[in-house]
Amino acid sequence: MPGTSAANIENRLQRVLPKILFLPFALAFLLLLLTGNALAEEEALIYKNARDRMVRTQIKSRGISDPATLRAMESVPRHLFVPETSVPDAYDDRPLPIGYGQTISQPYIVAYMTEIVQPKPQQRILEIGTGSGYQAAILAETGVSVYTVEIIPELAKNASERLSRLGYGGIQVKSGDGYFGWEKYAPYDAIVVTAAAEYIPPPLLAQLKDGGRMVIPVGSPFFVQTLMLVEKHGKETVTHSLMPVRFVPFRRAE
Amino acid sequence: MNQTSAAALNRLHLSVALLSIAIIAFQLVLMQVLSITQWHYFAYMVISVALLGFGAAGTLIALARGWFLERSSFLLPLLMFGSAAAMATVVGITQAVFGGFDSLLLFVDPSQVWRLLLANLLFSTPFFLGALAIGLIFVQHVDRIGTFYFANLLGSGLGGIVAIIILGLLSPQQLPAVTAVFSLAAGFLILPKRRLRWLIAAAFLACALTAFNIVRPVSLSISEYKDLQRTLNLPDAGIVAQRNSPYGLVQVVSAPVLRHAPGISLAYAGEIPVREAVFSNGNWFGAISEWSAANTEHLLDYTTGALPYAMATPNDVLVLRAGTGMEVSHALTRGAKRIVAVEPHSTVLDLLDEQYSQTMGGLFRHPAVTLVPLEPRTYLATDSSHYDLIVLPMVGAFGGTAGLFALQEQNTFTREALSEMWRHLAPDGLLCASAWLDYPVRSPLRLAATMVETLAEAGIDNPAAHIAAVRSWGTITFCVKRSPLTPIEIRNVREFCRQMLFDPVFLPDLKPGEREHYNLLEDRSIFTYLDQILSPARQELYETYDFRLQPATDNRPFFSQFLRWQSLPHLIRLFGERAVPFIEMGYLIVVITFLQMAAAALVLIILPLFRLGWRGGNRVWTLMYFSGLGVGYMLVEIVLIHCFVLYLGHPVYAAAAVICAMLIFSGTGSYASSRLPVHDATPYGAAGLVALMLLLYTFLLPPILQYTITFSMCWKIIFTMMILALPSFVMGFPFPLGLQFLARRSEADVPWAWGINGCLSVLSTALATIIAVEAGFTAVFLLAAAAYVTAALAKFWT
Repeated sequence: MPGTSAANIENRLQRVLPKILFLPFALAFLLLLLTGNALAEEEALIYKNARDRMVRTQIKSRGISDPATLRAMESVPRHLFVPETSVPDAYDDRPLPIGYGQTISQPYIVAYMTEIVQPKPQQRILEIGTGSGYQAAILAETGVSVYTVEIIPELAKNASERLSRLGYGGIQVKSGDGYFGWEKYAPYDAIVVTAAAEYIPPPLLAQLKDGGRMVIPVGSPFFVQTLMLVEKHGKETVTHSLMPVRFVPFRRAE
Repeated sequence: MNQTSAAALNRLHLSVALLSIAIIAFQLVLMQVLSITQWHYFAYMVISVALLGFGAAGTLIALARGWFLERSSFLLPLLMFGSAAAMATVVGITQAVFGGFDSLLLFVDPSQVWRLLLANLLFSTPFFLGALAIGLIFVQHVDRIGTFYFANLLGSGLGGIVAIIILGLLSPQQLPAVTAVFSLAAGFLILPKRRLRWLIAAAFLACALTAFNIVRPVSLSISEYKDLQRTLNLPDAGIVAQRNSPYGLVQVVSAPVLRHAPGISLAYAGEIPVREAVFSNGNWFGAISEWSAANTEHLLDYTTGALPYAMATPNDVLVLRAGTGMEVSHALTRGAKRIVAVEPHSTVLDLLDEQYSQTMGGLFRHPAVTLVPLEPRTYLATDSSHYDLIVLPMVGAFGGTAGLFALQEQNTFTREALSEMWRHLAPDGLLCASAWLDYPVRSPLRLAATMVETLAEAGIDNPAAHIAAVRSWGTITFCVKRSPLTPIEIRNVREFCRQMLFDPVFLPDLKPGEREHYNLLEDRSIFTYLDQILSPARQELYETYDFRLQPATDNRPFFSQFLRWQSLPHLIRLFGERAVPFIEMGYLIVVITFLQMAAAALVLIILPLFRLGWRGGNRVWTLMYFSGLGVGYMLVEIVLIHCFVLYLGHPVYAAAAVICAMLIFSGTGSYASSRLPVHDATPYGAAGLVALMLLLYTFLLPPILQYTITFSMCWKIIFTMMILALPSFVMGFPFPLGLQFLARRSEADVPWAWGINGCLSVLSTALATIIAVEAGFTAVFLLAAAAYVTAALAKFWT
């Protein structure tokens, strides 16, 4: 009967139509998933290449040779530690602003500071000035236990969340005054001060192990002039003013 | 214009004066606002570019003179209301739209360049609209230019006074809108009867915007890299006291984690106390130290600055630029019997006295302390005492200043200043100065060079016998002694170094290896350079070093300016092009400003020629004459401000006195010119006379000022007025005479001439700075004379 036939067709359509409609959506979703994965993989590869290039051209070429430091610099995704607007410049040879008057240091300076404190697995290192958390992540990659203190609460919170998200949950982040260091985990094998002050807080020196090293960059946010290495030998403390880039002498070349 | 009634003319004159008040006051206020939110060098750049609005106004009138003149009665008040509205709102708009702009990022983030260009464009709007109104009146009433130019100059002079007054009374964010009130008043004075409805609507809008921005001004968004903002980012930090002043906005910040111990020794094991800190225009000024007469120890005992107290126990101490008094309390703690503290920032002194006297243990009211609110050089010139110790303020800042203050005139650190201090030393007196160690090393080397040359000038054959210097991880302190160092003093220095983990740098019997016991340097060349400075071969170092090391002089008082242009390619190779701007940003910015303005001025000057024609009898004449006047006047003003800062001892009031006196006397000259029977030779004669007077002043002014600087302030003000009156009066003649001369030949060229004058005036501010740095202020004065000679020589191109 024509009526029955029409009803059948309608019934069939009602059953089939959702499947027909679903199919392209499913395909699109699958495609998106595959493309998304492919894109993510491609993106990861692009950043990996950028990192490798950064290590080759900015770090190894300037004399950094400590294998642990180089491995760390090759593996930590720096682009995930900078503000969104700075992602394209993340692997450039320069510091980048991260807000609150702070910067993420030039990759070479991060590498230099890491190498200079000679991190070894199982050591404890205190960082003063967490900033974006990049330096802490690099130190953690070398196998040391990292304790980091940030005075600006917003930066401390963001860095803590970022480090956890990126798998650096082992890094202890504290929001507080770096002047007092972090007594609870003292003494430290090394202290990295990323945000320098015009004085070296006596509590930090006290929390440094005998024979320990403290490194402090000296300069403006966009131009690190020197790095100061402080070595504690019993009651005597010796400082070394180091130049991250060998640009002496200043006499004109001609 | 003959139909214009006398009353209408009077109103128009008054309107020009009011508008001129508004423009100059707005310029000074904007300078203050931008100095607070960014830095002085940035304020300088933005305002210089914005002032090109004057040149642009001349160009526009030259291009559409007829159109403007036909509608002038309607346009004039409209432009004044427009200028008022722009003055009231432009700071708010730039804050809202370009809140993320930061001048420190200019060399880091390319997107900042576009924001800067847009900000420049916005800031130039009130100047452009105001200048358009003034230019239009000048063109329309060129037959009465003498009196209108008088009104313009008088108003400009008064604008300076108005700015000084309101800077001391109101908060900076309200000030731009307050200046707009004068522009509004100027517009209301000349409302025509026709098309009044439109003008009333415009006036209402401008009034509403002005009132709104006075009552509810936008809060200023300060660069996150400024000292103040960085301190305010600390947890629980807040501004606890604030005072407006022409010197700058003074703010006191309190934070539970704010500590100050500049370059303290690693031997210090005590607690560094929390302090409140004073900021001036957002820049660090000093920490407020708790002090008690019962103290036997001082935090500064643990810095290299304690070197003179390790060598001797001075009774009479002179502290120059005493700031918040840390050096004063240090001297008291170390047993000084009489201390003279010289600090010109009187607003800070008042604030400390009124609100922090108890915290500071009544330091500035201590019977042994005499507080002098003057420029150090002015005090030294008027004082005849001798001191056991003279302490200079610390040079530089921890981590360097990025050259932000390269163009700051530092009269306390010139060769002449140190010689003056040397004359004030008792027979065994010490002169002491400290500097932060910078890299590439500059400040300590120049400081050493200045001290050694002071010794040489005093006839000391063996400077090494008179100088001691010690170095910590971050600072270096030099002490020169009037008599040779004694063995006991030398021993004391060594003991001081041992206790504080410092290293001696200069001592008469310094042994090899002694310089690096506690503080090792990877680059030891600083020692080679310092030794060379101490030797007669220092001239060779001056010539070959990548940075300028010659001591600053009164003629070139830029102690923190080190950049040599010929070294720039080498520095870029060494540091990379991104880092070099942070070595000396201030001077680079001025040169960039000059180049920007020169390009813009060229366009603005050439553009009207497409309408006026390239050929013609008056082109070269107009260009030479009005360029000469524009350049000459501004250069003279800048040099005189420099001279009178030292003379009057108060930079802000000296600048105000010079600007106001020059403009008012020139205005009077302009007024007098309108009474002169004009013939063709008059403009050249006036320009030539100015050139002659300037040449005379180049050689006579310094000795006159030197001779009278010891007179009382009342006499000095009278002398200032007398010195400024004559040249300023004559300088008021050439411009109106020249415009009248031009109008008789080709009235259409008048706006072009006015535009040239405006462009070149603005351009010459940056030019003056560059010449002062490169060749000194005397050269600037001579160039000003040459500019007037050029104007006079234009006669041969008539």
